[in-house]
Amino acid sequence: MNAAGADYVIVDRLSKVYNEGTRQRVEAVAPSSFTVKAGEFVALLGPSGCGKSTLLMMIAGLDAPSAGRIEVAGRAMTAPRAETGIMFQDPTLLPWKSALDNVLFPFLAAQRQAANPPVDRAAALLDEVGLRGFHDHKPRQLSGGMRQRVAICRALVYEPDLLLMDEPFSALDAITRDEMNLVLMKMWQDHRHTALFVTHSIREAVYLADRVLVMSRRPGRIVEDIRIPFARPRGLEIGETVEFNKICGHLRGKIEHVPH
Amino acid sequence: MTTVARLRPLLLPTAFAIGLLLLWQGLVVAFNYPKVILPAPSDIAAALTGNFAVIWQQTVPTMRDTLAGFALATVFGIGLASLLSFSRLLRDAIYPLVVVIQLVPKIAWTPLFIVWAGIGWPSRLAIATFIGFFPIFIAMMAGVDSTDRSLVRLCRGLTATPWRTFWLVRLPASMPYLFAGLKIAITLAVIGVIVAEFISSSEGLGFLILKSAALLQTDLILAAITMLCVIGLACYGAVHAGEVAVRRWHGE
Repeated sequence: MNAAGADYVIVDRLSKVYNEGTRQRVEAVAPSSFTVKAGEFVALLGPSGCGKSTLLMMIAGLDAPSAGRIEVAGRAMTAPRAETGIMFQDPTLLPWKSALDNVLFPFLAAQRQAANPPVDRAAALLDEVGLRGFHDHKPRQLSGGMRQRVAICRALVYEPDLLLMDEPFSALDAITRDEMNLVLMKMWQDHRHTALFVTHSIREAVYLADRVLVMSRRPGRIVEDIRIPFARPRGLEIGETVEFNKICGHLRGKIEHVPH
Repeated sequence: MTTVARLRPLLLPTAFAIGLLLLWQGLVVAFNYPKVILPAPSDIAAALTGNFAVIWQQTVPTMRDTLAGFALATVFGIGLASLLSFSRLLRDAIYPLVVVIQLVPKIAWTPLFIVWAGIGWPSRLAIATFIGFFPIFIAMMAGVDSTDRSLVRLCRGLTATPWRTFWLVRLPASMPYLFAGLKIAITLAVIGVIVAEFISSSEGLGFLILKSAALLQTDLILAAITMLCVIGLACYGAVHAGEVAVRRWHGE
């Protein structure tokens, strides 16, 4: 397991500029620095189009930074790492594979111990997220929330040391979203991966994270870094407390009053 | 749904076709039309049963060249499209060229193939392959291109190799597209073989049709065409069954 307290992810003056050297030059991410400690759950909060997803994709190794560096587990990041678990905005399941086979897909794709895929572990994860009895269903036969549950299992099945999530619940309705937050919270408590979660929902960020980083509008830069004091496990009812709403209000102010 | 409602898509056109045949039969008999110009359906049926051995003998080579050409076209079409999906350079060099060649009516190339490959079965196989290749290649390209980008990105995130990504995602994702191409290709392959048989052959249904025309055996021509309909339907039906199976596997 990760040594608690050490910086596990180091993002150092990372930036992204599209169409450099042309009139269409767009600075998507202004030089940004932050760290994530081992075992910590950090939410990256910002308005739509602020570059927070770009930042996450660079940390995933799926997008090349224009400048700056990323270090994960003591190593400089240049390409996707096999030990990182990623959840995208969409579940991105293979439509022709069953829920169980989708969870096992990482083993097939990267030939991780492909000779002996951990079917029992995948099945147990599906049961944990409440998909008992749906293992053999194809994605089309599942609801949006169920599909994203399958995607959670797929990201966790190979025991990643780092879990990157790019607004995974933004396409879901509010009720399903609350449900998914509970599922994610439970899974994170049981497995304790270092996690970085991108969202534009203030309440979601405060509910889930140990720390919330706020990104400004484009070009995105980190303008706030606060610790969320609530003890775990957290129930959805903490959302009704005065303190919760005070924090949300503070973060909203940060997002809205950032000079362009 | 009741049985009648379920069979409606089959029953309705069948009933209509039977009606047309009866009308045809009735008109030919009523006006005593010369058989050599327009035989009645009953004459065609008689020609078909009476000459079945001859017709079947000519069906075999046509069928053989069509299926072999279709199979080769499938291999080449999938093969080239797959190859181009791996290399931007090859793709940009070759794809536009294929699209341009595809605009030329391919049937016009048939005499050239006979010049190159002779009047035997190899030229007919070649023309069936050539003509069937394009729709398969183009459908496969469309399938590979339309693969959900997020699935490809997922594979990259999982550190899958390009080959693995192709095998596990691009290839299965393009299957429904591929079948659209296969359906066109099987139909075109039959046309290619028949035209090649028209131009120069001593066997096949195309040859039989041409020979019967020379002898003014109109009923035999139509019997041979009936046979062509049957094998065309059978081939198309087989491809369609494959498509249904693939779509079901795709979770539709």
